[in-house]
Amino acid sequence: LRGPPIGSQAYSRGRFRLSPSLANRLTIGFAIAFAVLTGLAVIGVARFLQQRQDFENATARSYQREIEARNDLAAGRQPGLARATVEAQQRQRQVLRNEISDETRDTALLVGAGLIAGLTGAALLFTGLISSMRRPLEDLVEASGRLASGDLDVRVKVGGLSETATLGGAFNEMAGELQRRAGERDQLERMKDEFVLTASHELRSPLTSVQGFAELLLLEREKLSPKQAETVEVILDNTRHLVRLLNDLLDLARSDAGRLTIRPEPTGAASLIEEAVRTMRAQFDTRRQELRLQVEADLPEVEADRDRIRQVLVNLLTNANEYCPEGAQIEVVARRADADVEIDVIDNGPGIPAEQLEHIFERFTRGDAGETQRVGGTGLGLAISKSLIELHGGSIDAASSPGSGSTFRIRLPAITHDRVEVT
Amino acid sequence: MAKILVADDSETILLLLRTRLEMEGHEVETAADGEDVVTAVLRSPGDYDLLLLDAMMPRKSGIDALRELRENRVETPALIVSAHTDGGNGATQSDLAIAAYIPKPIDFDWLFTKIAELTGG
Repeated sequence: LRGPPIGSQAYSRGRFRLSPSLANRLTIGFAIAFAVLTGLAVIGVARFLQQRQDFENATARSYQREIEARNDLAAGRQPGLARATVEAQQRQRQVLRNEISDETRDTALLVGAGLIAGLTGAALLFTGLISSMRRPLEDLVEASGRLASGDLDVRVKVGGLSETATLGGAFNEMAGELQRRAGERDQLERMKDEFVLTASHELRSPLTSVQGFAELLLLEREKLSPKQAETVEVILDNTRHLVRLLNDLLDLARSDAGRLTIRPEPTGAASLIEEAVRTMRAQFDTRRQELRLQVEADLPEVEADRDRIRQVLVNLLTNANEYCPEGAQIEVVARRADADVEIDVIDNGPGIPAEQLEHIFERFTRGDAGETQRVGGTGLGLAISKSLIELHGGSIDAASSPGSGSTFRIRLPAITHDRVEVT
Repeated sequence: MAKILVADDSETILLLLRTRLEMEGHEVETAADGEDVVTAVLRSPGDYDLLLLDAMMPRKSGIDALRELRENRVETPALIVSAHTDGGNGATQSDLAIAAYIPKPIDFDWLFTKIAELTGG
């Protein structure tokens, strides 16, 4: 690993600055709200107590004066004034009771209004904080989605709260790193493809010579001893195998580089199948295997590159021929299935174990080690077949149960002729 | 039988082609690159019935040699031997009147059939 881990830079930047972090803002917001609300409550209670105290003092003074007046009255001192004072004090206390009642209500209203205002302010503050996070988070969510779907150019705007800024910075670093690695991988892939193309090209000339001269020797077979002729045949077999391997590798490299191309044209599926079967007939006869062909009448045309589809069919038939024991039965069945032409290559051979069947269209997947010693395949045929069929817009599947044979099914889209009804 | 000018930068392949073609009864002359081909053909344009040229050769490729010959109104039928298996460039093929691309390794039966078609033998 090179460089600091992703995100560390953003974190360390946050640590040394007075950051507008969400945590800080929330703490400050809570403190202010708490202080305001507590202050309001304290002021309210204090004022209420003060008013109560004033009221009680005033009431006590009033009673004091009334008692003094009543004492004067009992003693007969200035009875008129004393009586007036008693009545005045009683009225005074009524006024005080009314006043305290009003003041208590006012204080309650004031404190209530203050609390409501404080709470509203706090709610607005927190809503603001949350919405200031929402935008960058939504951006991040959207960008993550795009990154996951393969858009490596995607970046987010870094800013705002330090948490989202850190997250955004880390996201951008991660996306950049992914992009850099993807670029390196693409370059390696290109180099590999170029290498295979060049190697395949360069190997072709010496192979041409080896195969050509071996064929030349066999043309004069009568001058060779049986042992020599056999030796030359071994050379030729192996040369052909090398050529096959080279062609397969080339096809795969082209497929990887997106340069595997087909030249499709409307083609009769039946004649194509018959051609492939004809090519392979001799090999099946050699192994005393029965090859049957069952093609539905009026099979529609398919949009196909003849050579490439024949290559796939020959590959499937070669596999059946080589992996099935002598005397096995192989059947090619072609029929129309909905909008497709379906071609099955069915054998009653040993079948394919489930764990191999899963990977059968992957490159370099081959049958059992013992079998592959005998069978001369490259392990690439089915991978190429799959690429080729998919280039045609079709599909290829394999089904098998060990002991009762295998079925390989190709589906190619049929050409539909939109006929205009003439009345 | 036909008189054929064969060009390839590999002596081994030249030997192979010469041997097989002569066994078929053709008369064979060889060239090591495109320059030699152009010189030989322009010296006596009507002399050859067929040109069998490797696509890639040093100094001058088979394609470039053929282009030069066609510009000089040499109409001799030509086959291009190519290590590329994808059949070469269709536009080049029609422009230069290339009868066919022969992929390596060479399928001699097919080559002989083509030669027979082109030389009317």
